This record gives sequence, structure tokens and C-alpha cells, in this order.
Amino acid sequence: MDLLLHLTIVAAIYAIFALSLNLEVGYTGLFNFGHVAFFALGAYTSALLSLGGLSFPLAMSAGIVAAGLGGLIIGIPALKLQGDYFGIATLGFAEIVRMILQNQADWTKGPMGLPGIPRPELFSWQFDTLPAYLALVLGAAAVTFLVIGFLTLSPFGRVLKAIRDDETAAAILGKNPFAYKMKSFVIGSLFAGLAGVLWAHFITFISPGDFTLTETIVVLLIVVLGGKGTLWGPVVGAAVLIFFQESVRLLRLPPEWSGILGPLQQMVFGLLLVILMIFRPEGLIREKGKDTLARD
Amino acid sequence: MDSLPYYLQTIINGILAGCIYALFAMGLTLVYGVLNFVNFAHGELIMWGAYFLLLALAEPFALPLYAAVPVALGMTALLGAAMDFAVFRPLRRANRLTLLIAAIGLSFFLRNAAQLFWGAEVRTYGFEIRPGLRWLGVSLTPQQIAIIVISFLCIVGVYLLFFKSRIGKSMRALADNLDLARISGIHTRKAILSAWIISSLLAGTGGILLALDTNLHPEMGVVNLIKAFAATLIGGVGNIWGALIGGLIIGLAENIAVLFISPGYKDAVAFLIMVLILLSRPFIVAGERTD
Repeated sequence: MDLLLHLTIVAAIYAIFALSLNLEVGYTGLFNFGHVAFFALGAYTSALLSLGGLSFPLAMSAGIVAAGLGGLIIGIPALKLQGDYFGIATLGFAEIVRMILQNQADWTKGPMGLPGIPRPELFSWQFDTLPAYLALVLGAAAVTFLVIGFLTLSPFGRVLKAIRDDETAAAILGKNPFAYKMKSFVIGSLFAGLAGVLWAHFITFISPGDFTLTETIVVLLIVVLGGKGTLWGPVVGAAVLIFFQESVRLLRLPPEWSGILGPLQQMVFGLLLVILMIFRPEGLIREKGKDTLARD
Repeated sequence: MDSLPYYLQTIINGILAGCIYALFAMGLTLVYGVLNFVNFAHGELIMWGAYFLLLALAEPFALPLYAAVPVALGMTALLGAAMDFAVFRPLRRANRLTLLIAAIGLSFFLRNAAQLFWGAEVRTYGFEIRPGLRWLGVSLTPQQIAIIVISFLCIVGVYLLFFKSRIGKSMRALADNLDLARISGIHTRKAILSAWIISSLLAGTGGILLALDTNLHPEMGVVNLIKAFAATLIGGVGNIWGALIGGLIIGLAENIAVLFISPGYKDAVAFLIMVLILLSRPFIVAGERTD
């Protein structure tokens, strides 16, 4: 039972993380290959402030704001770029963030990581048991789902899709693509920050090694597998992938296999991305109203 | 330490690193020119090139270096061609997001495959470091001399191939306009395959040289992809000579920067240069695309 709760919490955190990436990749067509950076900014900011004695609501807000600010700062140069270049710029940004976490040991304890991050306390409620934490995470996931759902169904979301499908046409119709992309990117970063905060306070120990390209690949796979540009896609993708990933752990394979199993599982993830792209680029859930046969 | 030889050594190290980055960047920009997309798996060709040599040098093959290098390069070229055949050719007409996600998935697959076979630890080829030339207090090991000579040969080779041969001409035609090239009867498949092979050979050579000078580890691909990309941005994407100059600039900047900042941030320098270029001259990127 505890295991199921644990799995659901992890899946819900990843659903938030994936919903935020889907806003950028699925709806806006931004190839963000460094999404883990914002997750890391949220996690580290909130963890450091909590360890410094700040209360959870303040630390969480700071974590979310830090991720959003990170998005704004990298967005200014990077969003001027066309697709692939934006991908490389964000990939590089994520590497820099990891490098800072690793090297600025006076702030972040470097590679040693941060142990003993307190479980959250909100208005005198303690979220120190699994069911309580699950309630908190599900609440946060519901808020994320509703906010992103509302945004993408609103006229704002339609402009994002228009920019994704034909940036020039959207610009001719008087929409400023840069401004819209920036909003999408910053909102995505804010929610990635939220996911990071929830992760840090759940796992209670974080280190720079948790925030590598692997995490970006996992969350990208969740979005692509579930169905990019759909509201439920990231949720379904997170459930499927996290349960798959954690069930491998449940097989109780001999420990000496772990050196093989990690890379093997990640090879499967990489291969799955390639195969999905070749045979079913729309994922499990197909985006409505989009002609999937017309490939531009 | 603050003396002339020290600075000279820094410059030499910068040129050495720059030569290698130039090889990476030229390969990256070559595939970009012909197929108009950034090959995110280029870093993995670099890394596999280096590991293929390790494989050929180790038991059970235990080939001598002069035989192992061609084998390693041949396998890298094969890997590049296989990548195109299995992943990028089926996606030739797919949209850009699909292509990029496939490329990053492929790169992740290849990196973890290397980790599966060789583990995550740092390795070397195990050649002993011999004292090399010493002049004006600057030292150069035989490996480093090899880097300069081989890079120079590669650059000359690329020049001859690209500007003096028929296949080079068809590659340049393809880079200019794919459809026009096709209707003028240029064998596009052959030209694309050649681009992949040359790109892989450059990546493999660079990877081997880098590993000779430093070491091998499965993460070496990503870091160098970012550097190669920064170098191509400096020179203008799709421009072979620009990539060469860009690589040298990145190499020099990195090594000079270490005089002022912590070496832990050495790999960040390329990224900072990239951001500065993007902020100051966005047109070289934004204005390039025709599709």
C-alpha cells in the first residue's frame, strides 16, 4: 500500500513536470531540451531556504519564482532563436545550472547534496505521512492541470498553437510571437519549479546528480508518449512511464545488476522516443483537430 | 606562474583544444548544411569514435595503434550511416519537432549503450605520456603534436573534398537547394550518405584526438556537442570555414578564461560565448533559414 502511495506521488509530481513541458513543446512548439534546469532551480531554492529555517509556503513560493526568473533570463536570448537552436541553448543552460550546483559548494554543498530537507508544513498541517503528502501533491497537480487547461483552451492558447503551426502567419495577424513564447516559457518554468519543490520536500535529499539530461529525457518521453498538445497526454504518460520505471525496481533483481540495469533502462527510453517518432509521433492520445497525416 | 611561458602554454593549449572543436564543428555544420537540421547525436559520434578505438586497442583484438585507428574510424562512419538509415531517413519529410525528438532520443540511447559496455568511469588509452618538445618553456607532448598535424590534414582533406571533388560539389548544391539539386539530376542519396560519412569521420577523429589528450567518458558527447554548436554559431551555421575559426575561438577562449575563473566552469565558457553571440548578432541565426 505504501508502495502504491509512493508511486502515485512520484507520478503526480512528474505529471506536473510534464504538463509544464507540454505547454512549451506541445502547444507552443518550443523545443525545450533543458527543462530539468527549472525543476532543479525550484528544488534547490526551496530546499536551501527551508533548511535555512524559512517556512514551507515562503520557500515554495521562492522556489517557483526562482524557476520563473530563470526562464525569463534564459528566454531573452534563447527565444530569439529558431527551433533547433533553442533546443541547444536550453540544453546548454541546463548544463550550466548543474555546473553551478556542483561547483558553488559554499551555497549548495556541491556534489554532497542537501540531506534532511524538511517535509512541508502548511497552516499548521504537517505533511509528513504518505497519504498527507499525496493529498498535497494531488492538489498541486489539480491546480496545474486546471491552470494549464484553462490557458490552452483560452484565446491565449489558440495564439500559442497558431505560433507553433505558422509563426509568420501569426505575426502577420498582429500577434507578437516573442511575447507569447516568452509567456508560455515562463509559465512552463514556474510549474516546473513547483514540481521541483514538491520533489525536493518528498525525497528530502537532493544532489546535482538528480538533475541531469536524463530527467529531461524522461519528462520529454512522458509528454511524447502521452500525446503532446493534449491536456490528458502528460498525465497518462506520467502514470504509464513512472509505473513502468518503478515496477522494474520491484522485480528485486540482484544488486550487482544495477550497473547494467540503469543504462539499459535509459537505452529503452531513448529507443522508445525514436520509435515513437518514426511510427506514432502523436503519442497515445491524439491532438484533436490536427491533421496528423499532413507532415510539414 | 605569471610569466610568459605560462601564457604561451595557455595559448598553445587553446589552439590544441580549438583544433579538436573545429573538427567537431565542421562535421556538425556539414550535416546541417545538407539536411538542414542540428544532429543532436553528433556528440555521440564523437564519444563512440573514441570508444571504438578503445575497443580495437583492448583484448581480444589488441590491434596496434596504426591498425586500430582506421578500424575505429570505419566503425564510426558506419555508425553515422546507420543512424541516418535507421532514424533520419524515415523522418526526412517529418516535421522539425519529430526529427529533433528522435535525434535526442537516439543520442540518449547511444550514450547509455556506451555506459552499458564500458561503465560510467573515466578511462584512458593507457599510453604513457612521453616528454615532447620543449621550447621557450612551453612543452608539447607527441600526442599534442599529432593533434595539430592531424587536424591540419583533416582540414585540407575537407577542403579538397568539398571544393575540388564532384561529390563535394553535389553536397554544396544540396545545401543550397534540395529540390533544385534533385531535378538537376544530382544523386541526392549518395551526397547525403557522403555528408554523414565525412561528418562521422571528423567526429571520430576529433573524439580520438580528444581522448588521447585527455580521457574518455560516456558524457564527453554532450559537452562537446554544445561546444561544437557554439563554434558553428560563431562562424555562421552551414559555413565550413566559419566552423573552423569558431572552433579555434572557443578553444582559446576556454583556456584563457581558466586564468580568471575556476576550472570547474571551463565548460560553461562556450555556452556564455554562445549567449553573447545570440544577444548581439541574432541575425546570423534568424536570417539563415530558408524553409
